[in-house]
Amino acid sequence: MKKRSYFTFPSIHFAIRAEKILEARGCDFKMVPVPRSISSSCGTALRCAPEDADRVLNYLKVADVPIESYHELEEKNSQGLFSFLARERKQR
Amino acid sequence: MGETQVYYFDNAATSWPKPEAVYRAVDRALRTGGSPGRSGHQRTLAAERQLYEAREKVASFFGVSKPSSLIFTLNATDALNMAIKGLLKKGDHVLTTPCEYNSVARPLNAMARDGLITVTEIPCTGQGTLDVTGLSSLFLPHTALVIATHASNVTGQLMPVEELGAAARARQVPFLLDAAQTAGVYPLSLKTLQADMVVFSGHKGPLGPQGVGGLILEEGLALRPWREGGTGSRSHEVLQPQVMPDYLEAGTMNMPGIAGLQAGIDYIESVGLDSIRFHEVRLASKLREGLKKIPGTRVYGPADPEEGVAVVSFTLDGLDCGDVGFILEEVHGILCRTGLHCAPGAHRCLGTFPQGTVRLSPGFSTTEEDVDYLLEAVAEIAFEAGLG
Repeated sequence: MKKRSYFTFPSIHFAIRAEKILEARGCDFKMVPVPRSISSSCGTALRCAPEDADRVLNYLKVADVPIESYHELEEKNSQGLFSFLARERKQR
Repeated sequence: MGETQVYYFDNAATSWPKPEAVYRAVDRALRTGGSPGRSGHQRTLAAERQLYEAREKVASFFGVSKPSSLIFTLNATDALNMAIKGLLKKGDHVLTTPCEYNSVARPLNAMARDGLITVTEIPCTGQGTLDVTGLSSLFLPHTALVIATHASNVTGQLMPVEELGAAARARQVPFLLDAAQTAGVYPLSLKTLQADMVVFSGHKGPLGPQGVGGLILEEGLALRPWREGGTGSRSHEVLQPQVMPDYLEAGTMNMPGIAGLQAGIDYIESVGLDSIRFHEVRLASKLREGLKKIPGTRVYGPADPEEGVAVVSFTLDGLDCGDVGFILEEVHGILCRTGLHCAPGAHRCLGTFPQGTVRLSPGFSTTEEDVDYLLEAVAEIAFEAGLG
């Protein structure tokens, strides 16, 4: 099963700030709803591959973006479902 | 957003799109300029007339005969805080429901935590309806306020606010109605509802822009203002003037927002409040019935669609509601809200705490085809998840 890294933030303000900084750095990540198994103050988390997590963490530290928590999770049922459905993405 | 089509089912959060006239009204107000009460020149007078017209129109829309009883606020949260913190004092008891939005629950919880007030919740059933059978026994000698939401933002269920209003009025206890989900949808009248204060959001049902809401006050009800400052009147006085509406409207008004709100209400009146509601409630009913037919769904909402607003909550067995919402957007372009919807108490009643629900809220411009598309999307997710 695929593993993914999740960063959560104290509020959406810092989640958006993280997104902006990492986009500028050309990082590979996605802003996603916080998985229900993680509790968080803010509903949006940053997801990346575990091998990219250190780099992401460094960039955020340098930019003074506070992180609430970090988790490595195995991809669960509905996320696998999402990957399947994303391959069938409809043209609209 | 790019060029891809979106299917917007989040009108309970904020209505979108707005009628064209609303965009034009906001633009026009910005280009006209002027700030009511701040100078004597033509731009100011134009803004003052606009403000007066808007206040009169909006007041009349909500069945208020005296425009000065309508206070424009930043949003419903602002109005609720203004009312709650302006009325309550140490030692007061408050009667409310477990289905309140956080903008009622959080101020009350903070005041209770600080030992200023005590709070009792009217019991709620597992279907999200209020149990008012023992209502009279919940009133105490020091009950100073009854607060209730007109409709749940999680299930769409209308609450028995007429009963609450009558019970409060009989005991001369003020009744504050949170009409954030019903303003611009159901006709509202302080008199019929026996409410002493009504709060509305300008950017939901009334189709106005964000940044405007309102507090309607029964004449003679005294609130302590939470903010004091420039009102453009009696400037020589060092304290806030007691005359309404200035008393509660210190500071520069959101003129573009107020102009947009007036245009939104004009639109509703031109199409017909009832006909817009009929359209939205019919779509919500179709959604509800369609979702029930999909294996693995649990649907939350009033059994009788006439007893609700156009809000439908559902879950899919074994699937995280956040993931379902994400798939709906990423794969199907459907926008909705997932989680606790700032009303954790409602979810505790329904049994959907802490996992939350997927919430769908059609609007005036949502079509039958949009609803069909949404139902197909949910059915596909359920099928792929092995639910049916």
